[in-house]
Amino acid sequence: MDPSATDVRVSGVGTTPFESDSQRALIDLAATAAERALAAALGLNGAAADRIENTSATGASAFHRGVDRVESSDADVALVVGAEKMSAGDTRRVTEAISRLVHRREYAQGITLPSFGGLAAGAYLDRHDAPREALAAVAAKNHANAVDNPVAQFRKSIDVEDALDSPVVAAPLRLYDCCPMSDGAAAVVLIRGDKEPGAAGADPATEPRVAGTASATGTHAVAERPDPLSIDSVRTAGERVFDRAGIRPDDVDVACIHDAFTVLELIELEELGFYETGTAWEATLDGDTALDGDLPVNPGGGLKARGHPLGATGLSQIVELVCQLRGDLPESRRVDGAETAFAINVAGFGNNSVCTVLRA
Amino acid sequence: MTGRPHPDRTASDDRDLPADRTFVCDDCGRRWYYDRRRCPECGRSSADASTVRLETGAVVATTTVETTPPDVRTPNHLALVRFDDVQLIAQAADADVSPGDRVRFDGSHRLRDGRERTDPRLVAVEEP
Repeated sequence: MDPSATDVRVSGVGTTPFESDSQRALIDLAATAAERALAAALGLNGAAADRIENTSATGASAFHRGVDRVESSDADVALVVGAEKMSAGDTRRVTEAISRLVHRREYAQGITLPSFGGLAAGAYLDRHDAPREALAAVAAKNHANAVDNPVAQFRKSIDVEDALDSPVVAAPLRLYDCCPMSDGAAAVVLIRGDKEPGAAGADPATEPRVAGTASATGTHAVAERPDPLSIDSVRTAGERVFDRAGIRPDDVDVACIHDAFTVLELIELEELGFYETGTAWEATLDGDTALDGDLPVNPGGGLKARGHPLGATGLSQIVELVCQLRGDLPESRRVDGAETAFAINVAGFGNNSVCTVLRA
Repeated sequence: MTGRPHPDRTASDDRDLPADRTFVCDDCGRRWYYDRRRCPECGRSSADASTVRLETGAVVATTTVETTPPDVRTPNHLALVRFDDVQLIAQAADADVSPGDRVRFDGSHRLRDGRERTDPRLVAVEEP
């Protein structure tokens, strides 16, 4: 075992399709994802149970919690499930609920999460003299990655012009710069050590290990950040997880980045140290973050195209990365030879962030 | 006076200030805009913190939001503004505010439908 990794392996993964308006009940979505992760019936009677709520980082926080329980020997096996059915409420109610995530003085101004995205995107393009196409290129890349992902909400390719021509949401952000509202569930099974067989009967030695998890808080009120392009929770959580896993950003072969808005993919890549400040947009336009680039980012389509059912997203990132590390994906959407994988799941607009590193 | 907030006192996060006012610590003078229970500098309870009116600030970033909540105007012009040591996001009166501009709060507007209170919005200041 890699000495920097925990003794926890991700033995099973499962997910439902992510959809705009699922006809299935929330509990059915969650149970389906769990069943697919377990792949065999495990007795759950008598198991310890927790419910985790951390807005859009709920999935990663629950994963973090499961790893802690298994790593600390409180449990030999943990099932972690994330599910969300955003279509259960009408758009007006869901929008209102999400808009309540902001500070109450921000709420009084009618500020929503896309408002923060628009402010950050405008500042990013201005400061780094980047073209509007740089944001559209993130959307086009993530949509292309989702085409062959059977669970993605939007398996539709778009080009940069489509993104540039879509309706304005919060200037300069347009519709294709923003993640959708989604229904869906994802689940993983965590097992300590090598003794227990894998959930799908796999050889434990072939199952990806959790090399590290870490989280960090930031400010709630976005304007309290000295720099609108700085998200301290992202930077701090990243530094912590790289330290715990004993790796550097250069060691990462594939990454899932929380692209709730296209500009967030660029800012987070820079805050995490994958790219120098002000250069992620050029790397994106050069194809560095494409599936065949130096650092494939969001190979499953990201929040943008795979979808963003809030409670499930962090776990769906883990599912994607486990599949990449196992190499059991069609060639059209596989990152060949990936050994180290990274995920970041962000709550609110950076109120807190949760990072995970997995090793093959 | 520092120490724990009095249990019968209302903390600053229950105080509904006009948009153009900010909290200021009566002990150390530190200012903050977004409610918090204690001064971020010296830790004094903010329950009875004084407030002051913000004068002019510099625009850091702007956006115009076209998809707004049902009770908010469309489009909603917003600006991230730095007033010396305090930074905030607030509604601008119109789209005629750009990064680098000097702005101040002015006027009386209902920022969300259905609310009784009114607040000022940001307007550009003519440089002398």
